[in-house]
Amino acid sequence: MAGFFQIPFQTITFVDRDHAVAPSLLISSAGAKLYSYAAETGERLASWPQDVAVDSSKAIGTEASSEGQGPPGKRRKVSEPSDQAAEGPTESQKVTWSNIPIVLASSNGQYVIALTAEDKCIRVFQLSPEGTFQQLSQRTMPKKPGSIILADNERSIVAADKFGDVYSLPLIASSEPYVPTQRPRAKNTEGPAATNLTVHTKRNLEALEQQKLYKNQNKQEPQKTALSFEHQLLLGHVSLLTDVAFVALPVDASSGQKRTYLLSADRDEHIRVSRGPPQTHIIENYCFGHTAFVSKLCIPHWAPEFLVSGGGDNFLLLWKWAEGRLLQKIPLVESDATIVVRGIWAATFGNSPEVSRVILVAIEGSSQLRCFGLESDGTMKSQAPVQLSGNVLDVAISEKDSTITVAVDSIREPQSTQEWRASPSSILLEAFHAKPNASCLEWEPAAETVVAKINTTGTSDIPATADQKQKKELNDMFYSLGNLRKSAGEYLFRARKLSESRKVALIQFILDAAKIPDGVLAVGNVFGPNSILEIVGGESGTTGTTPLVFNT
Amino acid sequence: MGVPNKRAKRELNRQKAAEAVARAQSGADNAGEIQLPQKKYYRQRAHANPFSDHRLEYPLSPAHMDWSTHYPAFLNPDPTQTTLEGSRKLLKDVEVVDIGCGFGGLLIGLAPLLPETLMVGMEIRTQVTEYVTTRIHALRMQQQKLKSSANDTSSPVPPLPTSTEAPEAASSVSQDTTTTPSEEPAPTGPVTGGFQNITAIRSNTMKFFPNFLGRHQLSKIFICFPDPHFKARKHKARIISETLNAEYAYSLRPGGLLYTITDVQEYHHWILRHFREPEAGEEVMEVDGDDEQLVGGAGSIKELFERVSEEDLQQDPCVQVMKEATEEGKKVTRNKGNKYVAVFRRKADPEWP
Repeated sequence: MAGFFQIPFQTITFVDRDHAVAPSLLISSAGAKLYSYAAETGERLASWPQDVAVDSSKAIGTEASSEGQGPPGKRRKVSEPSDQAAEGPTESQKVTWSNIPIVLASSNGQYVIALTAEDKCIRVFQLSPEGTFQQLSQRTMPKKPGSIILADNERSIVAADKFGDVYSLPLIASSEPYVPTQRPRAKNTEGPAATNLTVHTKRNLEALEQQKLYKNQNKQEPQKTALSFEHQLLLGHVSLLTDVAFVALPVDASSGQKRTYLLSADRDEHIRVSRGPPQTHIIENYCFGHTAFVSKLCIPHWAPEFLVSGGGDNFLLLWKWAEGRLLQKIPLVESDATIVVRGIWAATFGNSPEVSRVILVAIEGSSQLRCFGLESDGTMKSQAPVQLSGNVLDVAISEKDSTITVAVDSIREPQSTQEWRASPSSILLEAFHAKPNASCLEWEPAAETVVAKINTTGTSDIPATADQKQKKELNDMFYSLGNLRKSAGEYLFRARKLSESRKVALIQFILDAAKIPDGVLAVGNVFGPNSILEIVGGESGTTGTTPLVFNT
Repeated sequence: MGVPNKRAKRELNRQKAAEAVARAQSGADNAGEIQLPQKKYYRQRAHANPFSDHRLEYPLSPAHMDWSTHYPAFLNPDPTQTTLEGSRKLLKDVEVVDIGCGFGGLLIGLAPLLPETLMVGMEIRTQVTEYVTTRIHALRMQQQKLKSSANDTSSPVPPLPTSTEAPEAASSVSQDTTTTPSEEPAPTGPVTGGFQNITAIRSNTMKFFPNFLGRHQLSKIFICFPDPHFKARKHKARIISETLNAEYAYSLRPGGLLYTITDVQEYHHWILRHFREPEAGEEVMEVDGDDEQLVGGAGSIKELFERVSEEDLQQDPCVQVMKEATEEGKKVTRNKGNKYVAVFRRKADPEWP
């Protein structure tokens, strides 16, 4: 056993800054921490939060060890809505999250927006010229956002959450305390909405009586906590939202006038095209074509009329999205294997006239970064992929330098989302230079010293004592998109604390619903984040496992 | 062990009802009376979780939807006209949707009122959908029988089951049979359209409405006595919300109408609020906490809908059907409850900002 496993980078972003003012940066998140590196040298400039114990086992293994009150991510209500205002030094902050799944930077290189996972908190940081983070605001969302983007000339943050709602928040929260715009409350109608005119059965009437009694006794109802900062609900799906995109499209070729749109993708195969704020309630059309969940939308900045979408299907779709028109279906694998698209990026390299316009695609648990050329006539052609030493986790693109920096999985075997390597790999990042060549791009390793420096600096260690459970949590942290897939035997349950007997009843109910004959099954339950109830058995008597995601 | 027996019995009865209709359709059983299905065999818990996946079937897009089996009388005679799935096309598009059609009372009440308009009921509960489908098939068979027996006396035209039949050929209809097709006894006389223009499908409209119906396709949407979801925690599951209203607006053509009726006053106010309409009278209800959020911004759903005035509603026969023909409507009448109606007209899309 040589050395420790290092937590891989979950996200990586290139922040382009004017060289005269401040060096360009690579911003990355690993585990519970955010890091900034000088893009030129690879030197680590800062990390956030600063004075948190480096012992990463704390951050990762919290659910297992501390408190023992269930995983932090599954808390139903954040009891204290956090203040929108800056909290001052972050030293005192308690780290209540295990990872930072979303990090993005404003194009002027001034701000970084990060989402901390379990506390559902969108944090905005100001980047100093030296590359340090100063937290300006933290805003706790009602549900965990699955995608965060900047819109409206980067003045607002648009966040799409797992309950299907899309919110807009100002990037810079105003210093004034937020006063929610309440509609006039003329009459406080205490008591239940039901009356004996609307419910009739004996039990319902009894319940109604009880409620009336209860209301009279308890005058002080606990006030529900509304969001304590300025926000707007833009639109909603009755589904889990996976990605959003904000885009401006010229009205016609001649006039410089532009219209803005908001595209939203969900777990039920939909891509909705709505008008941009303030008309997000007007749906222009839908892009129908996916047969499994959609996980990523990518609108190339050089050709905003196109959209590349991917998800649980083993193909990508290329759209003329404003018309809802499907242009091309691009197969990703030859067989009918099930894959999940993890990320889609668009980039242009080189100077005119020799410009290469490419779409890069990462597939979950794959060590190849797929590469496609996107022609201006709206066709996509496959090019040689980039081969990496581990699974692709995220990609940062610097068009100026024609390089890409890829965060690779150093702890799991390439091509696997579950199997850990026998010995640790020290490669967290790899960088490549794009060389336009005839019809396709060639990739050669680049910026070796920078990457080597970052790799040797490392992130934080995973304790050698990591057991199966911790490993599994780490696997889930990095590879969770596959859970979006609907499958024949899959049941998603949200249940609160259940007694043992209720649990048994619930399991029986699931089995009834799944028409699995009892007698041929063994039920094991493990509790933790996304606990898996395994049901072994099946209709034909063959033994298979049906994972049931069971959140307590 | 009474429960499984009961369940098995109900299943058997449902099967029998479906088979009887199928037999009648194939013409094998020409003699017997066509029995309508009995509701008691199709009861299902009144609430369904709209957020779970269920096992739903839905088309990839409206252009893939196969309506041909639903409206055989409206089949396009040209077999080369096909949907993207390869099924036969219809002569016209579906124009009216009853969201949460329940046992189908509204559809059956509306069928003779709009005999040339295709209407579909969408219902999330499997057994209830099965009931409506069987009921519609049985009603169609009864009508065909009535007509063929009428034809037999005049001229020996062979009773054709579908397609060539002209729906408007049915003889004049007496007033009472059209407006009061009460739940068990079927209309005894012929009914305009012969119920060929209605159907029901199982669907979760909160998720998959746009998969069935395209942009501006509909002229009317009915939402009758929706599940009130009394608990604030369940308000998210209500079929009317500002975010869903945006989807209804997408499917409704400008000038199209969205009808709502409920017996729960609080829900009625909720509906008005979510269409940004001033609430009636003094009774402004408490909006507590974040259980509901209205879509923000200067523009709102108000740009897309306006409430139809009371006078206009008086003229609209659909409102009467909605009040009297639905199963829930009858139940509310029986229990002497109140009925709150609100109808909204789809306005044209506003200009881009």
